[in-house]
Amino acid sequence: MRALRAAVGRENVLSASSELAVYECDAFTIQRQRPAAVVFPRSTAQVAAVLGVCRRFECPVVARGAGTGLAGGALPVPGGILLSLTRMNHILDVRLRDAMAVVEPGVLNLDLTRALAGSGYHFAPDPSSQGAATIGGNVATNAGGPHTLKYGVTVNHVLGLEAVLGDGLVVQLGPVENPAGLDLLGLLCGSEGTLAVLTKIWVRLTPDPLEWRTMRAVFETAEDATQAVSRIIAEGIIPAAMELMDQGILAAVEEAFHGGFPLDAGAVLVIELDGPAAGVDEDQRRVMEICRQGRAREVLHARSPAERELLWKCRKLAVGAVGRLSPSYMIQDGVVPRTRLPHILGRIAEIGRRHGVRIVNVAHAGDGNIHPILLFDERDRGQVQRALAAGRELLEECIACGGGITAEHGVGTEKVTLMEKLFGGADLEAMRRVRQSFDPAWRLNPGKKLLPGAKGPEKCGK
Amino acid sequence: MRQVKHFLPVTQVVVPPDEAAAAQALREAACSDTAVYPIGGGTNLAYGLRPVRPGIGLSTARLAGIVSFPAQDLTVTVQAGLTIAELNKRLASERRWLPIDVAQPELATVGGVVATNVFGPRRFGYGTIRDYVLGFRAVDGQGEVFCGGGQVVKNAAGYNLPRLLVGSLGTLGFITQVTLMVQPRPQDSRIVMCDVREFEGVECLLAGLSRSRTLPVAIELLAGRPRPDCPFPQAPSGAVARLLVGFDGSQAEVDWMVRQLRKEWETGQAAGAASIRVLSDGELERTWSWLADFSGHLLIHVLPSEVVGVVQAMARLVPGASIQAHAGSGVIRVCWFRLAPSEADGEMFTADLREKLRPAVAAAGGSLVVLAAPDGAQLASSDVWGLPVDGADIMHAIRSRFDPKGILNPGRFIFGNP
Repeated sequence: MRALRAAVGRENVLSASSELAVYECDAFTIQRQRPAAVVFPRSTAQVAAVLGVCRRFECPVVARGAGTGLAGGALPVPGGILLSLTRMNHILDVRLRDAMAVVEPGVLNLDLTRALAGSGYHFAPDPSSQGAATIGGNVATNAGGPHTLKYGVTVNHVLGLEAVLGDGLVVQLGPVENPAGLDLLGLLCGSEGTLAVLTKIWVRLTPDPLEWRTMRAVFETAEDATQAVSRIIAEGIIPAAMELMDQGILAAVEEAFHGGFPLDAGAVLVIELDGPAAGVDEDQRRVMEICRQGRAREVLHARSPAERELLWKCRKLAVGAVGRLSPSYMIQDGVVPRTRLPHILGRIAEIGRRHGVRIVNVAHAGDGNIHPILLFDERDRGQVQRALAAGRELLEECIACGGGITAEHGVGTEKVTLMEKLFGGADLEAMRRVRQSFDPAWRLNPGKKLLPGAKGPEKCGK
Repeated sequence: MRQVKHFLPVTQVVVPPDEAAAAQALREAACSDTAVYPIGGGTNLAYGLRPVRPGIGLSTARLAGIVSFPAQDLTVTVQAGLTIAELNKRLASERRWLPIDVAQPELATVGGVVATNVFGPRRFGYGTIRDYVLGFRAVDGQGEVFCGGGQVVKNAAGYNLPRLLVGSLGTLGFITQVTLMVQPRPQDSRIVMCDVREFEGVECLLAGLSRSRTLPVAIELLAGRPRPDCPFPQAPSGAVARLLVGFDGSQAEVDWMVRQLRKEWETGQAAGAASIRVLSDGELERTWSWLADFSGHLLIHVLPSEVVGVVQAMARLVPGASIQAHAGSGVIRVCWFRLAPSEADGEMFTADLREKLRPAVAAAGGSLVVLAAPDGAQLASSDVWGLPVDGADIMHAIRSRFDPKGILNPGRFIFGNP
């Protein structure tokens, strides 16, 4: 503890039990663990010093951004240090000519977007948690969001990283590409703090769209809605976003935000097109036509920026509105080939019925990325167990459909035992080779993302 | 085969009929400590250091099928030896495409593109193969088959091994199968071209493009000695550079963007855009492939704002060079050339590289790798790849775990010449 205080200063270390309670979980609240201490480094040098201390005392360390992660990636480990990057929260540089910004990992996603307002550029990844989530966390989980359909996930928007390795060494990858090496930057994105701790991020900025066309299409059944999604993609239209909310969640959203959604509808799609008017007007006409042909009861488009904002507010805050339906909930993250959406939604309903768990759905439908939300009461152990079992089963169903167990939230601790369902032994071994090349002692965020093989961690120096 | 033997020290080329046979070949090679040089279409064998350790070639020529193409999911799974031309033909039948420019697409293979991360003009609008590889199957240096990624467009499970393989030059595994994200094929495409008389004017135009209301998919800058087979008339003698701006989209979109760009350029005439014109239908496709076919000797990356300075420096330092920049992406390709060619070209190239070109790129904060060298050039690893980059120790550690005996493409990449 004294070494930690020396590394970052007394005022940047928490170790009193009462202060640590806040940090015992992230947004995956089912598991909790109090860390030995929380440290708040303010510079790369301090991060390196903390990792040096952890190495000396062979102490595990978990990096944490805002703690909005939904898979327990920032869950502390017993006796470990929690390394909070929230005080490294400065936007260091914005270079519009190079369409690039340089930020510290603790900068909030939305703060960067706000800082760029009026510049003609924005940071494209827009997870629903963007008001609270840090860019470091976005990179660590390779976060997505509604607009990844057209613009890609976080890794597509990272030009460079500065990171501290487990042994305290600082490396800089990018922002200028260098073909003379392996793509470590691509590995670090989405590595959930298991390979290195990020201390600086060069992000790509995206030009603001000239125009938006935002629509909502109301369908009698979720199946009709997902068929329309497939048709739109099959027609060669890639909207900026294509989001689904099913009947279960519409009720909560409507009560919370009064978006004017019909409560008896089976599902609503929020579809957004962006680009020059010359393109989006034509595409809008085609999208509305496809929805109508696909038995949409109603297709409306936002006629003002305020209407567009309301639609997006309803979608992005939909999960929060679930609090009106249930004392506790768990949002799942799975992915299937887009054409399997009708199938998976049907299976989710069936799984929910069988386990006696109410499940409502939002989905980044255009990507085949589903977010079933399982409702339960945390005070009832039986309900918790049933929700966990249902969640696990629906992810196994995603695997059976040729999909995966997470599209954008990460594996964390929640899904780490599902990795062997998704990958074969040799595949996991290949990943362990990567893990061990960075962190042979498995000291960074152990127990997350990937478990050691039967052989256990390699001995250092081997 | 002659081409292969020119670049690789191979006694024979094994052509496995399936993945199991490839794995078997690699297991045997590992046992006997034989070097294995993976071979796709053989279009990029000059890239990297010239290997010297004798061994066998391992060709993907018989691994050339399409495994599955669920067009509505916008993905395709293919065997690594499928050529880019075959792939694009199949994709086109469903109005899809892979928007990566590849030189010699009739020969170049999907596996080769992944291993070498080649790209061209459209990188600005679409990224590189890195942004499209969703999953793969490969055989490691001990003959063990492993997969990474998946079949879906969005996937956060596991480490991003597909990206790790991109640009690894076959040093981590022999790629047998690749799943790619594909895109709807745009209806229409146009290229707008102008001449520029001064380099200051070029930077004004490029900076203007970064603020433009249009969305180019390619921003190409041509300077230096004109390349042969140019599909459009040569620039007038007063011009230092040519700028070509490409657009893709629906017809209405492309028309609007072309009109808009002309407007932006014409109102900013002081910036020096001269003889603005839109390439004709007859010139268009030939121009796209001509632009994509340029590989060059040197591949340079800088920040976009440094492009003009480096292009200017290259034009000055190598008076006979042909230079093409993917200016929006910060990429510059240089075809080194001496106005009076001689037997000493190889030595001259090496000297230029060491004394002038690498220092000029370093001064601009850029990276430089050698894609091909004139015959006779004796290049060290630091000439081809530069000095070791940050994280080199980790790269070596990864390599040694995927290929403990160092038999995969030894001596070609940054891992030395054992």
